[in-house]
Amino acid sequence: METQDALRAAVLEYIGRGVEAADAADADDFERLALEVFAYQFAENEPYRKYCERRGRTPDAVARWTEIPAVPTAAFKAALLLCGDPQEAEIVFRTSGTTAGPERRGAHHVRDLSLYEASALPNFRAHMLPDGAQLPMLILGPTLETAPDSSLTWMLERVRRAFGADGSAHFVDESGLRVAELEQALAASESAGKPVALLGTAAAFAHLLEALEARGRRVRLPAGSRVMETGGSKRLGREMPRDELYGMLVERLGLSEFYCVAEYGMTEMCSQFYDNVLRERARGQSPVSRHKVVPPWVRTQVVDAETLEPCPDGRLGLLKHLDLANLDSVMAIQTDDLGIAGPEGFELMGRAEGAELRGCSIAIDQWLSAQR
Amino acid sequence: MAQRAALDAFWLPEGLRRASGPFGDAGLEIQERALGPGHLPMRIPTFSPHTLRELLAGLRERGSAVLTERPLVEIVGSIGTAAARLTSPGEPLYEELLDTLPELTGYSRRMIEIGLQRMGAGWTAQALHSAIEEEFGSLDLLDDFQSRPSGGYHRAFGPPLTVHVFSGNIPGISVSSLVRALCVKSASFGKTAAGEPYLAVCFARALAEEDAELAGCLAVSYWPGGSEDLEAVAFSEASAVVAYGSDETIGDVGRRIPPATRFIAYPNRVGVALVTRRALTAERARQLARGAALDVATFDQQGCVSPHTIYAEAGGAVDPLDFARYLGEALDELAQRIPRGVMSPGESALIHQLRAHAEVRGATVFAGERGTEWTVIIEESAEFEPSPLNRVIRVCCVADLSEALSRLEKVGPHLQTVAVAGETDEVRSLAARLGAIGATRVVPVGEAAWPTPHWHHDGRFQFLDLVRFVDLETD
Repeated sequence: METQDALRAAVLEYIGRGVEAADAADADDFERLALEVFAYQFAENEPYRKYCERRGRTPDAVARWTEIPAVPTAAFKAALLLCGDPQEAEIVFRTSGTTAGPERRGAHHVRDLSLYEASALPNFRAHMLPDGAQLPMLILGPTLETAPDSSLTWMLERVRRAFGADGSAHFVDESGLRVAELEQALAASESAGKPVALLGTAAAFAHLLEALEARGRRVRLPAGSRVMETGGSKRLGREMPRDELYGMLVERLGLSEFYCVAEYGMTEMCSQFYDNVLRERARGQSPVSRHKVVPPWVRTQVVDAETLEPCPDGRLGLLKHLDLANLDSVMAIQTDDLGIAGPEGFELMGRAEGAELRGCSIAIDQWLSAQR
Repeated sequence: MAQRAALDAFWLPEGLRRASGPFGDAGLEIQERALGPGHLPMRIPTFSPHTLRELLAGLRERGSAVLTERPLVEIVGSIGTAAARLTSPGEPLYEELLDTLPELTGYSRRMIEIGLQRMGAGWTAQALHSAIEEEFGSLDLLDDFQSRPSGGYHRAFGPPLTVHVFSGNIPGISVSSLVRALCVKSASFGKTAAGEPYLAVCFARALAEEDAELAGCLAVSYWPGGSEDLEAVAFSEASAVVAYGSDETIGDVGRRIPPATRFIAYPNRVGVALVTRRALTAERARQLARGAALDVATFDQQGCVSPHTIYAEAGGAVDPLDFARYLGEALDELAQRIPRGVMSPGESALIHQLRAHAEVRGATVFAGERGTEWTVIIEESAEFEPSPLNRVIRVCCVADLSEALSRLEKVGPHLQTVAVAGETDEVRSLAARLGAIGATRVVPVGEAAWPTPHWHHDGRFQFLDLVRFVDLETD
C-alpha cells in the first residue's frame, strides 16, 4: 500500500509538471518512474505478471522503459487487468459491445479517477483551449447517465464540468443525435456572435453535416469556435474520410481547419492524444502538418505489425503506448491502430483492417453470433 | 524493387475481340489497376452492359457450334495437355505463374509451386476421364443419346453458357471450375476476383496454344464484384451461374440470379480435425502432428478444406498438450520449408491480439517467435471457434470426442472437410456421425488440403450438377 501511495504521488507529480515538452531531466525521471510502475504492476497484477514471466521480462530483467512488455488490448477482454481488488475500482470503462455480446467487451477498471482527471484535463486544455477560451460545450454525445461505462462520455463530462461555460449541453439521447436542437444552438451561437466548442465522435459530426447538407443549410460559427472529433471506425458505425469531414466542417459550419482537432483515446488508456494544430495556432504558428501530440507522461512507439519491434520513423506500423496514468491497470498497451512516427508525434492511420478480434476473419462470425 | 509491367488480366477469344484496333469495334477500353494483395498492376477491359452482352452472346454461339460437335474425349485431351503447361516445371507458363502469383497473391513461391502441381493432378486427361466416368458411367452420354436400361435413350447437355464468379482465396479453383464446364461442353465466362485474377487467364492462354477452337469458347475478365449493371447482363445471359465466395457474396449474387438460371453456389465452409485417444500413441503422435501441420499450413488455411479447430481426445498414451507441442514443432519446421505468405498489418495484429487473449484467459499458447508465422492454442474446451486463418490453430482437449460432435452440430451446415485420426472402426463410426451432422468429406489427418479429382465438392457432383438430361422416347 505504501509503494502504491508513493507511486501515485510520484506519477501525479510527474503529470503535474505540465503538458509542455519535457526536458532531459524529465526524461530520466520518466524512465525511472516507468520502471517503478512496472515493478508495481508486475507484483500486483497477476495476469500481467504471468504474461511478463512467460516472456522472461521480469523487473530484474527490464532496464529500459522500451523493454516493458505491452499487453495487446484484446487481453482486456479476457481477464481482469488490475492492481489490487476489483471492488475498489471507482469505475469500469467498457469497450463498445458489438455482435459478440457483453461478455466479449473489454473492461478497464479504473481505481483512481483523480489520476485520470490529472491526465485528461490539462491535456484537453492544452490542445483544445490553448487560448484560454471559455466556451459553451455542445456535446454530440450522450450524458453519463445514458452511457455510464463509456470512457469517452466520462471524459467529456469532466471536461464540460471543468471548462464548459453556460449553455453547455448534450445532444444525444436514446433516439440518437437531436439534430434540430443542435442546429438551433448553432444558429444561436451564430446570431449572438458567441463562439462554441463542439465535441463528439466523427460519426456524430458526419450525421450532423449530412443533415445540414441535405437541406442546403450553412452556419457561420463565430471566430474561435472549434471542434473536437474522435474515432472513426472505432467508436461508431458510419464512416466519412477525415479529409471529407474536415472539408464539410469548414464548408457547413464556417470553421477554420486549424480549429478542427482530432482526439485519439482508447478505453484501456487513461491518457489521450490530440492534434497539434490548434495549440500551434494559438502560439501564433502556422502548423505545417497535422499529427498527434504525445503528452510527456506517455511514450508512443510505432512497431512492426509482424515482429512488434520498433519501426523506423516514417514507416507504417502498429501503435504501442506506455501511459504512466495507467498506474492501476497495465501501463504498456499494444494496440491494433496503425500509425506513422514522426519527429514531433505520430500520425494516426486508423485501425488495422481486419484486426478486430471477433473470433474469426471470415463471414462465419455472423452465424456464430446468430447462434449464441 | 523494379516496377512490373502491367499484366493482361483478361482473355477474350479471337474473333470476339473484333477486327479494328485491339478492341475497337467492341468499344472496350483497357484500364490499368492494381489488383491482389500485392497490388500488382493489371490491364483490365472496361465493359459496358452492351459490349458484355455481345461477348456473352458470341461465346454462347461458339459453344453451340463448336462444343456440341466435338467428341468429349478430344476436349478432355486438349484440357489435359493445356493444363500441363501451367503445372509442369520448365514450361514457360508455369515459370511465368511462379514469377507472378507469389507477388500477386502474397502466398510464398513454394506454396504456389506445390499448389499448381497438386491441383494439376486433377486437370490431367486421365483424371478428368475417370471423374466424368464416375459421374456419368461413360463420356458418351455427353456426345450422343445413349440407351437406358429402362428403355429409351437419354443424353446430357451442359449449359450453353456458364458464368463463373470466382473467389480469390485459392489459386486454381478458377481453373477447376472452367474445366468442369468445358467437360460438359459449356462455353464459359469467368469473372475473376481481385485477390487472384490471373491464373484463369493463363489457363485460357494455354488452351489457345493447344486448341484454339476450344479456347474460343472461353472468356475471362475482371470487374469489381457487385457491379450490378454488368452482373445483371452476365446472369441473364447465362444458363448456369457458378459462384464461389463468402456467405455474404453468395447471398448477394443469389438474389440476382433469374429463376430459370441454374445457380451453383460454393459459400464459406469450415474444416475441423478429430484425433481419438487410440490414435495418440507414442508411435503415431508425431506423424499425426506433421500431417495436421500440413493441413493447417497449406494455402495458409484459406481453403474451404482447411481445419479451424482440432479436437484431441484425452486419455491416450500421448497427452493432447504434447500433441499440440508436436504440432507446433511441425508448423515451425513448415514455416521454413513452405513459408507463410505476406500478411497485412491487420492480419498480423489480429494474430497478436488473439494470442494475448488466449494466453490471458488461461489457454496454453505455442507460437512462432519470429513473428506470427504459426500459432497453436490449446485449451480444455469443446467449443468450435473459427480461426483467423494464416496458420492459427486451436487444439481443443476433450474427455470424449462425443462432446465435440454435439458442439459441431451447430457448425454442421457450414462443415465441409473433417480430418480424422483413429482406428478403422472409430473412423467409420465418426464418419457416419459427421455425415449426419453435415460434413461432406472425411479424410485421414494430413490429407485435408488436397481433395482427389473425384471428390464431391461440398457434397455435390462436379459435372452432373451442371447438366440437363434429355430423354428420348421412341416408338
